[in-house]
Amino acid sequence: METKLNSTCETCTHFNANGLKKLGIHTHNFDFVVALAGNPNTGKSTVFNALTGLKQHTGNWPGKTVIRAEGGFEYKTRKYKLVDLPGTYSLLSTSEDEEAARNFLLFGKPNVTVIVVDANRLERNLNLVLQILEITDKAVLCLNLMDEAKRNHVSIDVRTLSRNLGIPVVPTSARFNQGIPELIHTISEIANGTLVCKPYRIQNIPQNIEKAIKVLVTEIKKEFPHIPNSRWIAFRLLEGDTHIINALRSGELV
Amino acid sequence: MNQKNIDHIIELSNELRWQIGDDFHDTLTESMYANASNIVKNTVQNDNSKKRFQLDSKIDQIVTSKSFGFPIMFLILGLVLWLTIIGANYPSSLLANLLLDTIYPSLKSLALNIGMPWWLTGFLIDGVYLAVAWVIAVMLPPMAIFFPLFTLLEDFGYLPRVAFNLDALFKKSGAHGKQALTMSMGFGCNAAGVIATRIIDSPRERLIAILTNNFSLCNGRWPTQILIATIFIGALVPKSVSSLVALFAVIGIAVLGMVFMFGVSWALSKTVLKGEVSTFNLELPPYRPPRFWKTLYTSLIDRTLIVLWRAIVFAAPAGAVIWLISNINIGNESLAIWIIQSFDGFGFLLGLNGVILLAYIVAIPANEIVIPTILMLTVMVTGIAGGEGTGVLFELDSITDTAHILKAGGWTLLTAINLMLFSLLHNPCSTTIYTIYKETKSVKWTAFASIMPIIIGFIVTFLVAQFWRLLA
Amino acid sequence: MSNYNPIWALAIFFFAVIVLFIFFQPVKGWFWILKKYFKNNEKTIIEDILKQLYHFENSGNKVNMKTLVQVLEYKNSSIVEAVKKMTINHLIYFESDILKLSEKGRDYALRIVRVHRLWERYLADKTGFSKTEWHNRAEMMEHKLNDDQTNMLATRLGNPKYDPHGDPIPTKTGKIAQIKGTELPLLPVNTVGIITHIEDEPQVIYKQILAENIHIGSLIKVIENNTTRIVFHSEGEAFKLAPIVAANLTVAPIEKEVIVEDNIARLSSLKEDETAKIIGISKESRGESRRRLLDLGFVKGAQVSIDLLNPLGEPHAYLIKGTSIALRKNQASKILIKKK
Repeated sequence: METKLNSTCETCTHFNANGLKKLGIHTHNFDFVVALAGNPNTGKSTVFNALTGLKQHTGNWPGKTVIRAEGGFEYKTRKYKLVDLPGTYSLLSTSEDEEAARNFLLFGKPNVTVIVVDANRLERNLNLVLQILEITDKAVLCLNLMDEAKRNHVSIDVRTLSRNLGIPVVPTSARFNQGIPELIHTISEIANGTLVCKPYRIQNIPQNIEKAIKVLVTEIKKEFPHIPNSRWIAFRLLEGDTHIINALRSGELV
Repeated sequence: MNQKNIDHIIELSNELRWQIGDDFHDTLTESMYANASNIVKNTVQNDNSKKRFQLDSKIDQIVTSKSFGFPIMFLILGLVLWLTIIGANYPSSLLANLLLDTIYPSLKSLALNIGMPWWLTGFLIDGVYLAVAWVIAVMLPPMAIFFPLFTLLEDFGYLPRVAFNLDALFKKSGAHGKQALTMSMGFGCNAAGVIATRIIDSPRERLIAILTNNFSLCNGRWPTQILIATIFIGALVPKSVSSLVALFAVIGIAVLGMVFMFGVSWALSKTVLKGEVSTFNLELPPYRPPRFWKTLYTSLIDRTLIVLWRAIVFAAPAGAVIWLISNINIGNESLAIWIIQSFDGFGFLLGLNGVILLAYIVAIPANEIVIPTILMLTVMVTGIAGGEGTGVLFELDSITDTAHILKAGGWTLLTAINLMLFSLLHNPCSTTIYTIYKETKSVKWTAFASIMPIIIGFIVTFLVAQFWRLLA
Repeated sequence: MSNYNPIWALAIFFFAVIVLFIFFQPVKGWFWILKKYFKNNEKTIIEDILKQLYHFENSGNKVNMKTLVQVLEYKNSSIVEAVKKMTINHLIYFESDILKLSEKGRDYALRIVRVHRLWERYLADKTGFSKTEWHNRAEMMEHKLNDDQTNMLATRLGNPKYDPHGDPIPTKTGKIAQIKGTELPLLPVNTVGIITHIEDEPQVIYKQILAENIHIGSLIKVIENNTTRIVFHSEGEAFKLAPIVAANLTVAPIEKEVIVEDNIARLSSLKEDETAKIIGISKESRGESRRRLLDLGFVKGAQVSIDLLNPLGEPHAYLIKGTSIALRKNQASKILIKKK
């Protein structure tokens, strides 16, 4: 069944008319960098494989991808390099995986970040989504495992969700290649700037912390007027993140 | 950019952190989850996510139940191992036939025809080619069976349940339940087992799993154990039960390995590793039907071939070394004989002999070539008939003939038992050592992981030999 | 070769094992003792004297040579020698027979205290060493780190304010925060407050407090207070302490109206088929493990129930925010819940 779906998709006109070419691991001379982030067990690697045509192993395990996997695809004559980040629950802690994911989003400055979430566990996954949206405003939410959600009678109002989060939301079932063409199209729209996101920012933080963050953000903006994620940097400074402190000093953030 | 302003920002953040206090992380996480549930409230209808799927919980109830949980687990692991060992026999002999009995002679005659000098033929074909061919023939089939089976279980989502069931046991020795899986993976191949420790996200427990993986009797060592147990231990009892007794002896060794794994894990967590950070978490993911062909393909590419390639890279020079030490003469004797004679005393003290020790040194790259090396060296030392020539690895199809050669080499029941013990308790193969280094990025832990088991091996075989001689 | 006596071989082996054990057994091994003996150079002694004087002066006690010799575990002659040297260097001075810290000596002492407390904080947050080991390890470390290393350590830890016992860590410039609060025995019944400090000396009493599972930062409510015992509630448990033990706890009363949740229990006490709401995570869980629990969704207000019981008794799997997560008993006991 799957192979059938697979091949119909690859030969269908919609798919190819748009000029998709899976590039596997050949990612030279790319035009855009796309980061793939998400919780463990959301089928992130399956999305990665669906996009690149690679067959990276995807265990049913939390935290399987430790080594950063890279792949690529070509869409409408533009080349995209895809970086699969380790699956994490959050970006706030100090474990090796989280640091790798955090640093890539912050310093790798991907042109687009695809956040893969499990449609069945949206609430739990949003924790990470909200953190990523503090770092970058060029993101798309990949609402994966829609097939399982359907089986569990979970229905999601994609439009409202998209409006609330301020970023495009694409429902997919990467295992069956459903939604992948739409995802690719959305990625390209964000990459070339036709689609501009206004991401949700975390609200209702307790007074004393919000005040401290505001003070810091003003100071940071004074020094780096063009930085998009001054609030996130303020969060990190309040946590005493040495990485960020050093990056501020060396000017790596600009 | 002004350095002074940046210093000011950092000073300011320090000052503010002082004012806010320690609760920053807690409060931030709480607000984020509050935000998340707000968003979900408006967008997710018929929210069933609080309940887990019916089928999932049914399966979970069974595979973690008091009465069925463990039997199911042992049944599955036993089945996987049985399929691997039995199922590998046929393709292994097929490969051996092809690589050793067909290609090897034709390579030799080809070399003769084009007039290659004997030393080059010996070095390249008898040395390098033979060792590589051996490793492929013995290693590939079991791995090509074991890894896909294991990967299927993994993709289905069963393995986290095994970790869940067994965690209490591993906790007692300071380890993580997921070590049950890296250990089982070690039965296939220690290098793969070491890579698999990536699933353990707690630094201390991961190091423990890496350092003790070698105590899982790997694929390369099963054939040695089975052969020696059949010849020496199976022979002690009537023929009708001999293969059963031999099998139990091998299982006994594997279980002993687990005992050492638990003991060493415990000792490590109480001593050298007690300062490492330890956090436990184990998510039980939903079951997902694995996609058979895809799994087969990826596990072959990702696990089997990578490990096999590493093994080949290491085996090639080993073959060269084996051939060289047998063919380079110092005085009247070959280098190998000199080394064997100088090791004999120490070997005797351990209930082994110089041949075995030398074989284990040159066979660091792969345990698969230990038996052929021992046979070749024994023939060389004793001067009895048999074998293919100096420096040429060989194995015999007939167990009686193998027994004959070993007994001519002075082997006793003690030698056999201690060889089985030493095969379990010695340094990891060089592929594993290299993998440990890649995973830990620490020379210290790599050295520790290499030396610790061999010291244990020396002590155990030494004690067994002394008590044996006292009581016999 | 083959006609040796295995008894001899065994005898030599066991002799070697015993010798190695005597030399290298942890802490008591001769090797470590010798190493420590040779390492007790003048610098260590001087720094220990400074630290002692600092603590004595802070608690308002006066120290003469006699008490100093009693508290420190060094040879009398080396202490006398060190004191002589310190007077010459103007670190300390005598007022009749009372030893006093000079300005310079006080600065030096503060630096040592800073290293000690930072290192304890480091051990608590970034390593897996048990609480009982923090103090002794910090005692060794405080003589080893120089100023630059100390500041680097402080930056890495995010310039923390307090050590894990609640003692303030002096800043680079010697600023030192005050411990807020009063000793527990001085608080009237029904006071609600937060434990801000646990004194880690004497060790006998400290170990007793640790064994009771009392932690810094926990909210408590005094229930009973008389000369024989002090009873208070914290994190769903009642604690009964002798006044002498309770005196090692400092509690900052909360003036604001705080709703103290009743019927607080620990997640480890949750039964199958029960549902509960999470109240918070006990302050005992810290560093990486605390963050991990929060990231997994064990936050205030979340619903939790048992998903799977373990055939071996632990870890049980808990259903939290739609996912099944297994926690060991000691983790579950740090999550505070209110059953429904």
